[in-house]
Amino acid sequence: MPPTPAPIYADNAATSFPKPREVLDAVASVLDKVSLSPGRSAHRYSLECSRIIFNAREALAQLFNCPDSSRIAFTCNVTEALNVGIFGLAGMKLYPGDHVITTALEHNSVMRPLRYLEKTADISISILPVSGEGEVMVSELPRLMRDNTRLIVANHVSNVTGAVADIEAIGRQKGAALFMVDAAQSAGVFPIDVVRMNIDMLAFTGHKSLLGPTGSGGFYLRHGLALRPLKMGGTGSNSETEIQPDFMPDLYEAGTPNTVGIAGLGAGVGFVSRTGLAVIREHEQRLCRLFLEGLARMKEITVYGPAQGKERAAVISLRVKGKSESEIAQRLDRDFNIMVRAGLHCAPGAHRTMGTFADGTVRFSFGFFNTEGDVAACLAALEIISRN
Amino acid sequence: MWSPVKQTPTCVVILFSIHYVLKAEKLLKRNGISHDVIPVPREISSDCGMAVEFPYLEQERVVGLLSSADIRIAGLYRRDGKDSFQPLFLDNITANAVN
Repeated sequence: MPPTPAPIYADNAATSFPKPREVLDAVASVLDKVSLSPGRSAHRYSLECSRIIFNAREALAQLFNCPDSSRIAFTCNVTEALNVGIFGLAGMKLYPGDHVITTALEHNSVMRPLRYLEKTADISISILPVSGEGEVMVSELPRLMRDNTRLIVANHVSNVTGAVADIEAIGRQKGAALFMVDAAQSAGVFPIDVVRMNIDMLAFTGHKSLLGPTGSGGFYLRHGLALRPLKMGGTGSNSETEIQPDFMPDLYEAGTPNTVGIAGLGAGVGFVSRTGLAVIREHEQRLCRLFLEGLARMKEITVYGPAQGKERAAVISLRVKGKSESEIAQRLDRDFNIMVRAGLHCAPGAHRTMGTFADGTVRFSFGFFNTEGDVAACLAALEIISRN
Repeated sequence: MWSPVKQTPTCVVILFSIHYVLKAEKLLKRNGISHDVIPVPREISSDCGMAVEFPYLEQERVVGLLSSADIRIAGLYRRDGKDSFQPLFLDNITANAVN
């Protein structure tokens, strides 16, 4: 047996790895040096925790061009943020008989809450179709809009194909509807400007391209828009009343937050901002291009998603003729020390549109810390696997 | 010395959340106004949070800065000594139910 090669992590669309050194330091420093209860007590450790969270909020506001950082609330991930958004609108802005438009590329964290409301709260759902290359057809939006369309939810970057939706065009055409964007895959790679893109709610997670730890995430909510919070409780503010505060961010942040995670997220956002989205995107897209060029030479391999040359994220879904997806992922892991993800990626709708339901695809997703050598090793492994 | 803010008397401003306290701190720092973040004094509120103290002479400037940053003031007090507070402004702190 030849020696096991060094591990290659190509599952960054699930969780980015590794993290920048400063993220590790920020996490360790919170655990080591300050206690963990921001805004609860008046001692210096508590104040220091509050400052860490405040700075992370300001850094995120700057990244998304959000004019007021109090409009950013933290959650434990993008799923929670999307659930606050969708369920928080029900009975506030979304009533029985209302209409919602979403896309065929949504993750289950959007589709499951929407399907639940469809069943229990009598809302109707229309789906923006996707082109053969897996891109959301924004041109179809006007045809789907109705007088009672209250909400449009769109995935910015597909976690299956890496296709980028033109959310600016959707924002331009949203009319009186609210516009919610799932930025799980895009935040930290693609520019997001909540003002220019006319976004009412932006949901993001900390553990993917914002390079923070798992258990961190949040959302931006446009000024003047109020949702019903999913949880109520202690906020460290207005303690004399038994009524949940009506101001952000406290309204949505009951309970002691994930100070450790938010500290890491703040450091991750700091790294992203200092490095620059353009530099990060260029690196990831170069790796993506190299990978796609290599794949194009292997006739047993089918790649799904945008054609070469189109703007996309470094998320590549493929199939190998005559091989099951789980078998490929297992061989990559066991024989080549390459970590990828096989299956439906929690987005059955996307696979239905590509004709890859129910087996799914093998997904490679490269991050800022992957190298050209990693891509070459992935190609070499696929070459061997596809031949025998 | 009852306050680390050098010029006395001082003002103590109470805000609705620690987020706004830190936002105010950032604003005052940026504008070169001497200030301190202090626990909300027992004499003016039972709230367990933090407040911002600054020289009384800077009152107008600080109120203007807070207002231009959309920071709502919960209470503003003149402080003449360690335990001597005089309310200058009080918001109607009836936190509204979510509507």
